[in-house]
Parts: sequence; C-alpha cells; structure tokens
Amino acid sequence: MSFQGSQPVAIVATAQTQWRSSWSQAQHIDLIAAAVQNALKGSGLDIRDVDFVIDSGSDVLDGRSISNCGFLGAMGAHHKEESRVEDDGLWAAQYGVAKIASGSAQVGLIIAYSKPSESDVRQFYLTMADPFIQRPVGLDQDSACGLQAQRYLHTHQLTPADLAEVTVAAWRKASSNPTVELDQVPTVSQVLASPPVATPLTQAMMARPVDGAVVIILANAHVARRVSTDPVWIRGMGAAMDSSVFAKRDAQLDVCRQAAQKAYARAGLSPEQMDLAETSAASAAAELMTLEALGLAQPGKAIDLFRKGRDASINASGGALPANPIMATGLVRLSEAALALWGQRGSAAKSSRRAVVHASSGIAAQSHCVFVVEVERS
Amino acid sequence: MSRVAIIGVGQTHHQRRRADVNVPGLVREAAQRALADARLEMSDIDSVVVASGPVLFAAVNQPEKWVVDALGARGKPVVRITSGGGTGFAGALAAYYQVAGGQADRVLVVAYDKLSEGALQASISSLYDPFWGREFAVGIMGFSAAYWRARMDKLGHTEEAAARVVVKNLGNALRNPYAHVRKTVTVDDVLNSAPLAWPIKLLDVPPISDGAAAVVLTREELVARHTDSPAFIRGIAYCAEADNAPQRSMLLSEPLAHAARVVYRASGITNPRRQLDVVEVQEPYSCFELSYYESLGLCRPGGAAELIASGATGMGGDIPVNPSGGCLGANPIGAAGLIRLIEAAMQVSGRAGEHQVPGARLAAAQTGGGWANLRGLAVVSAD
Repeated sequence: MSFQGSQPVAIVATAQTQWRSSWSQAQHIDLIAAAVQNALKGSGLDIRDVDFVIDSGSDVLDGRSISNCGFLGAMGAHHKEESRVEDDGLWAAQYGVAKIASGSAQVGLIIAYSKPSESDVRQFYLTMADPFIQRPVGLDQDSACGLQAQRYLHTHQLTPADLAEVTVAAWRKASSNPTVELDQVPTVSQVLASPPVATPLTQAMMARPVDGAVVIILANAHVARRVSTDPVWIRGMGAAMDSSVFAKRDAQLDVCRQAAQKAYARAGLSPEQMDLAETSAASAAAELMTLEALGLAQPGKAIDLFRKGRDASINASGGALPANPIMATGLVRLSEAALALWGQRGSAAKSSRRAVVHASSGIAAQSHCVFVVEVERS
Repeated sequence: MSRVAIIGVGQTHHQRRRADVNVPGLVREAAQRALADARLEMSDIDSVVVASGPVLFAAVNQPEKWVVDALGARGKPVVRITSGGGTGFAGALAAYYQVAGGQADRVLVVAYDKLSEGALQASISSLYDPFWGREFAVGIMGFSAAYWRARMDKLGHTEEAAARVVVKNLGNALRNPYAHVRKTVTVDDVLNSAPLAWPIKLLDVPPISDGAAAVVLTREELVARHTDSPAFIRGIAYCAEADNAPQRSMLLSEPLAHAARVVYRASGITNPRRQLDVVEVQEPYSCFELSYYESLGLCRPGGAAELIASGATGMGGDIPVNPSGGCLGANPIGAAGLIRLIEAAMQVSGRAGEHQVPGARLAAAQTGGGWANLRGLAVVSAD
C-alpha cells in the first residue's frame, strides 16, 4: 500500500443522544444506533459511504467481554473495518484521523458510548490501580482526585469555595445545553454542603456519570468539501500518558501540557488563538488544572477566568462535571466544539474559529489527549 | 509515497504459566527484545500501542495504564486496542496507521495475555448477549463445534482432516523455540483423544499460554537506519461481520474473504496459492485452519481436506501453513494475532531459523477474534 502523505481530515457531522443519569428504558444498541442514524441524517452521506468504524467503550462497564462484538450491527460496522479503542473516544478519533490522513480511507464513523448506570463506577476505577501496591491501600478515583485537589488548593492558596464556584458555573452552562438532562443548577452553598467524597472534594464537585452515545463523522478533504459548507478541520493532535504510580506524578498535569504543546505545534497555533475550549476533568479542581496545562491560564490562575466572568468560551457545553459519560466524555467535547463552531450552540460562539479539545482518562487523569480544530471563515 | 515496515520483532518463550514475572514484566520482556532487534531504545519510540485480550481475563482494568512504567513509556502516547482474539493484530493495524497517517515515525506495538491468572472460558462466555445468548454459552467451544459439524456436512471438513492439522502444527512447533507445546502426535492420537464438544477433541484444542509479543514499525525512508532485513507491509485489513446479520452462514468466513479481497488487491496477489510462499493462520481450534484455507483462496471451498491430505501445507509443501506451529504450539490469546504477523515477517526476512521456509519472499498472516466475526489479514514481503 502506498499513501498520499498526510491528508487533511475534517469533522463533517456529529450527533449525541441526550445524556441522562440513567437510560433505563434503552439498551446499549438502542443508544448507539440512535446516535449513528442521527449523525448520518442530513449529512449527505449514508452508511454505504462509510469506510470504517472505530469505537470506544469498556468491557468492564458493559459487563461483557469484547463488547464491541455485540454492537457491530448497531454501529453500522457490518462488513466494514472495525476496531475498538478501550479508552476515551477522543483516542478513537485520533485513530480515525490517522486512517484517513494515510489516504487509505475517505469516511469514518467514530463512536463512543457509556452506560455507567448499569455498573459500579467505583470498581471501574479501583480495578485500574495495580493489584500489588496501590489497590491494597484503596487508591481509587475519589481518593486520588481528593489528594490531587488538596495539593492544588494548598499550592495556590485556593479554597473549596473556589471549586464550588467552578462547579456552579459548569452546571449553569449545562442548563442551556439541550443534550444534558438536568434537574436544577446547584448553588455554591449546596455544592459545599453535598456529601464529602475525599477532602476537599464533595460529591457535587465530582464529574457526574451519565448514559448515552456520541458519534463523529470524519472525512477527507475531497468528501468534506462536497458534503459540508463548513468542515471542522483537525489541525493538530497530541497525547501523553503519565506514570501509573500516583505518588510519582508531578503536581501540574505535566503530561497534559506535553500533549497540548504537541497539538498546538502541529497546528502552528498558540493557546491565545483558541476561541473555545472543551475539557474533560474528573473534578472541579482537575478542571482548573487542565485549563492551566492547556496554556489557557497561568499556574494557579485558572480560577480568575471564572471570577472575571471570562469563562463563556470555557466548556460552554457545561463540560464534564455535569455530564461524564465515562469512555465518551472527550468525544462529546469534540462534538460540542464542532457544534459551537457551526453556531449551533448559542450566539456567543458564532464568530469563533478555533477550539482546543481535551480528554483525560485513568485514575486522577493519568492520560491525556488534545485536539486543535478550526473552521475556515471568509 | 511512503510504505510501512516492520523493523524489529520480539517474543517471549511462551509457557503454560510464567510465575517468575507479573504482567508488566512479561510485557517488558517482549518489548525489550523488539527494541533490541531494531537497534532502538525506548527513547527513540514516538508512540506505543498496547493490545491484550478482554480485561475480564485478568481483572486489571485498562492495563496499559499499569504497564506504561515497565515499558519506560511515561510521557509518550500510549493507547490500548482490544479486539478479542485478534487484538494483537488489531494493535499492529492501529500502529500501521499512526505511521502511514504521519502521526508517528516509530511505533512500538506490544501484545500479551497472561492466561494463567484468569478464568478464561468464563470470561469468554460473557461475550454472549446477556438476554438471549449467555445462558447456553459455555465458552467458545460449543459454538465452534456446531460450525465444524456444519462444515463436515457441507464442505467435507472431516475429523481426520482436522487431525492432520494438529499433527502438522505440533510437528512444526518442535522447531520453534518460542512454542510451548512440545510433543509429537499421530492422527490416531488426535482422533482417540477425549471428546470435549464433539467433533472437538482434546488434541484439537490449543494450549493456554502466558506470553507477549512486540514489533516496531516505521516508514520506508527510515528503515535503512535500523535493519537490513525489514518486512514491508504490502496490505493489511481487519473486517467485521455483525453478529445479528440474518444472512450470516459462517461456512466460509465472510469478513475474512472481505479482508482478503482488500489485502490481495493492495499487494498485487491474484493467485494466492501460487504467489504466497508461506502463510501463518491463527487457529483457535484445529478445524478453523481448514476453513481459512478456503477463505484465503488457497483452495476452492470444500477443498481443504484434500489440501491438508496432499501435504501442500506442510513444511515441504508448495504453500506451508503455520511453520511456527500456530496457536496449537502456543496460544497467549491477546498476542497470538501479532505472533502470526511476526512469524510472517521473520519468514520473508529469512530469520525464522529452524522453521524457515527456504527462499520465502511473500507471506500472509491471518488473524481472528470475537464471535468468529472479526477477521484480519496482512501480506508482508522482503521488498
């Protein structure tokens, strides 16, 4: 096989189901099929145009070995090339971009889904810890995020009330996002008074697991220019993973910074040129740390974005705190960035051209993936 | 117009149980061997792909996040690909596109399973639909036996033909230093071994192994810096068949036939029997090797029993299949698909040692996973 070099790749369509704390009346295949059908609808493409499917999901959350096998029909993968990336869907998108960039495929479906309501989320994270050293002492997502948050607050002389402020801002933004099921936006005092998880974090400061599915359709330039008036071009990507040993990691999500620097360098753009940011964080503290690692604020200063009301462009969808479909969260961020750049997510975003999109995975954000995307504006 | 090449390979010596290493140790062993083979250090690697069987085999969720330290890959992109039995091959496919798509120059793929530590058939049983398939599923064996039985009726895939596959592969495994089963058997031994799910008998079944395998891929322009015996990937594909497709017959593997069409076209193969020098297939039971002969076009549908009986797929034949001994020689499931690719690469680069097919230049590596509905193929060549 010979390749055409590194070809441009764009997002031409996307769809999400609603994100609910529980989709008790729908199976995985129902959620996946709904998202796939809605992404294709009106895209100018049908399933016969799709060359391959890359999907993200978790055998552990699904309670099923090789769970992609059971969903191939719903994913539209029959007689197509299919692969499962067992990490957040943004890594699946990275795989899909490579496949199209190589010149060997034109159109790909990227699918991520989650149904944590049927599973034990604490066990999902606890079983990520190595069985010999960290698991026996109970290191899990909650305890690790608590330690991470405590260190961050201490280093930068912030308080739990600052984290509550970030949480309220996220939920307020989610309340105007039609795809997030939401009862009410909590107040700062309600966030602080919610059950303690791991000092200084309360339950409300942790990302809320939700059920649903998201689909992105990627295409090469030839197809993208024919089916879309406004393709969202993938300009740069980067990924990096930190040590599994929590105590060995640095305090500032340095691997997130490395992933972001690679993505910006590939795009030939700087953080200052980003109009929008969509990030995935497991806690309100991790959201601040992520914004800093992405170069959108100085260390310890991300809270100023919220205090000065300059956070409209930060997680305008609400981000991961109100809606965290584990394994799909990062791909939802990419979907939300595309919708915002297309002017489908409120008036503020209509003049936006560029977005930085972030996914994290593992206990206390061990691994990171960053995309820089752009639309052409005449 | 860059192509992708395999510039380093490594395997562990597969065994029933490796009590001397844990999972990260096993993974590191294969990775170090592949890096040394490519004359590289971990610092030269841009990206790492980890592939292993279903997480339920080993009870560590997202194990790539555990093995990252043992690999020395902290700070690099590390992603895990899973695809049941074909996962090692699927990992190589992902790495292939990282190189071909310009994301990375040198990618390490490491695939493994440490099956001595988990409840294998119980984990496999959980792949069936929880509402209508799981209550009558006993691992993958009953399902495979039912389709072998159908192939016996329709295609003449007799018990004797499958027994000949066992005799051939175990004979070949004796010459492969990495294989873990070391015994000579006769057709009668296989036919007289204990029935497990008729027509599958004990000797038709591969062993359960602990093992890991690794490769380093790069683009054509960089090959000469690392090796003078590369293997170029001429074509590679891994295709799916929806489990609920009503027209699914499974007498011949449609996804494999589909992958073969794509890969043969890319690699200029119009007559696989004549053009290919050697083939490695991933046979989860002996009977599957017969099915693959037909889907790969090594013989006509219904011709597999005759092909194995003729000796053509033996070491002295015109189209040797599984000189390594295949899965019957060693079966660390998550690594098995990558081992097929490694063996094909070693054959075309003339480095297969005692099980070398003389003068091999063009080889195919077949893989499979899931509910017999994920099937892949690659063709590699010396130039």
